[in-house]
Amino acid sequence: MVKVAFYPGCVAKGSCPELYTSSIKVCEKLGIELAELEDVGCTGAGVLSSEISDPINARTLAKAEQMGVPLMTICSTCTGVIALANVRLQDPEYRDKINREFLAEDGLEYKGTTEVKHLLWVLVEDVGLDVLTAASTQPLEGVKISPFYGCYLRRPDEAIKDGNRKSYIEKVTQAIGGTNVDISGKGKCCGFPSLTINEENALAMTAKHTSEARDKGADAMVVPCPLCHLELDGQQSRAEAQEKQDIDMPILHLSQLVGMALGFTPSEMEVQRHFVSTKNVEEKVKSLAVTAS
Amino acid sequence: MQVTMKFVRTKNEDPDQRDSFVVDVDPETSVFEAMSKVREEQDGSLAFRGTCNTGFCGDCTCQANGKRVVPCLVKVKDSVKEDAIEIKLIRNVAPVKDVLYDVDQFMWKKYKYFRPWLETNGTAPAVKDEDLEPVRLAMRCTVCGLCDEGCTVIDVDKEFLGPMALTKGLYRTTKDPRDQDTKQRFIEAGEKKGLWDCVHCWEASEHCPWGINPTHLIMDLRDDSIALGVKSGKGNPMAARHYNAFADSVKKSGWLNERMLASKTYGLPPYGLSLSGMMSQMPIALKAIRKGKASLRPHKSRPGARQIAKIFAKVEQSHKNKKA
Repeated sequence: MVKVAFYPGCVAKGSCPELYTSSIKVCEKLGIELAELEDVGCTGAGVLSSEISDPINARTLAKAEQMGVPLMTICSTCTGVIALANVRLQDPEYRDKINREFLAEDGLEYKGTTEVKHLLWVLVEDVGLDVLTAASTQPLEGVKISPFYGCYLRRPDEAIKDGNRKSYIEKVTQAIGGTNVDISGKGKCCGFPSLTINEENALAMTAKHTSEARDKGADAMVVPCPLCHLELDGQQSRAEAQEKQDIDMPILHLSQLVGMALGFTPSEMEVQRHFVSTKNVEEKVKSLAVTAS
Repeated sequence: MQVTMKFVRTKNEDPDQRDSFVVDVDPETSVFEAMSKVREEQDGSLAFRGTCNTGFCGDCTCQANGKRVVPCLVKVKDSVKEDAIEIKLIRNVAPVKDVLYDVDQFMWKKYKYFRPWLETNGTAPAVKDEDLEPVRLAMRCTVCGLCDEGCTVIDVDKEFLGPMALTKGLYRTTKDPRDQDTKQRFIEAGEKKGLWDCVHCWEASEHCPWGINPTHLIMDLRDDSIALGVKSGKGNPMAARHYNAFADSVKKSGWLNERMLASKTYGLPPYGLSLSGMMSQMPIALKAIRKGKASLRPHKSRPGARQIAKIFAKVEQSHKNKKA
């Protein structure tokens, strides 16, 4: 049993509610005990100036530190931004300044000891791939999955810490019986950070990655970040219109993919909330369930 | 050792051109030296740049066996595969001939956009040595172009000014305490294709051979720009609106109010009546409601919202003090 301070992030509690629900179910089944942090703020998502987001993140890290467990996110952008703040906060002089100016008046102090982890890292490092395989009552045999990391679970190195983490999605997909479909853009930006600023660029990136997955024969792409999901799923039809092509590539959250292997039905993983139909994946999973029974 | 040097020769219409040459080189020698040996001894028409063979001129950047490199910094023994090295152009550039590309279009035009000189009105006060540390960091850039080559945005938009110019042009000048035009520089950098078009994917930092960490510098530039109250240029209002809407949302409730973020950014009710905003966003909003992805319930504040608002207030006050 592994216990974590659970930081779901804004989008899992906002426009990707299916990520929150599916993550809770998967963690429960795998024995990951979630103590959800409520009294914490947005990481800043790389949008807010670090002058503002570093104190907010120091506050979050201090709350997790009081619980004495790692902080776990289900969003790679949250992971990357808070992990980078944590790197800066390892400098005792800077940490003291943040503590003194922002945290002390609320009786808080960050000592610099909290470890930041994404659910993906917890699955591999704390639950273990063997356990994941054993718990997969419905291995995803024949389901072709294209891993899409996006940015923050691949870079920067000081936040990722262990280079092995850059190929964890493939390991998880294999452990639950699926087949990996490699695409060249798997570690590139999905486009989301540019959506409101340069929409044309954002949609071009979306079309590029989703069409590559389609061309390589993937049944679905899997993402560890709800922002990638909002972009690759939510904006896919607009990307199709801009780039004048049909793509039709289902996008699954990591938790949904794992959940289906653990025996949850696609509807229990709330895939019906997606914009792009996941019918092909659902049918494959249903036929696997029939074979298994 | 004997190595076969293969060149992917672009825009070379000579029907008799050779593209494969066997050279005898020391395995410790640089890939650039092996390339030069071919040109000197076997085919003087082979076109590529590079002079210093020490990494300093930043001119010889190319792909060697599929890796994007500054070839004078890579030894033959570390690049060779099956006794061969294939040399070709980097991505995202316009070829001129063989492994030569149009550097003006790829980088120099973008660099010039940032007025890469100090604006001092004729007076430049003496500065402390430590204040020039960030300046020195940017000065270490040799304009090898590997950050722009790996840039996610340039991949889809060749006009994006890119990490090299932002580092060596904007960071170099705005971090210099002697420069007296910093705010105007940020206003110009905030136009379309500039500072706010970066998607902070950290590719640039991964690709820089000198550890200059351009993505980090770009994020630092954004912090500096925000501290001066410049959140985009006049012709690029969406960037500022997005920043302000995001910040307002976290300031008021501790976390993101997505509905407010979208409405304020695109100018939708109750914050505006933008027709183009409605045309582009309404279909998505309606679909999100139908699919249960957008809640119609009021946005609740986080329990710690008051403490988070205090953080904003303190930082904003410090910006005001700095300006005063």
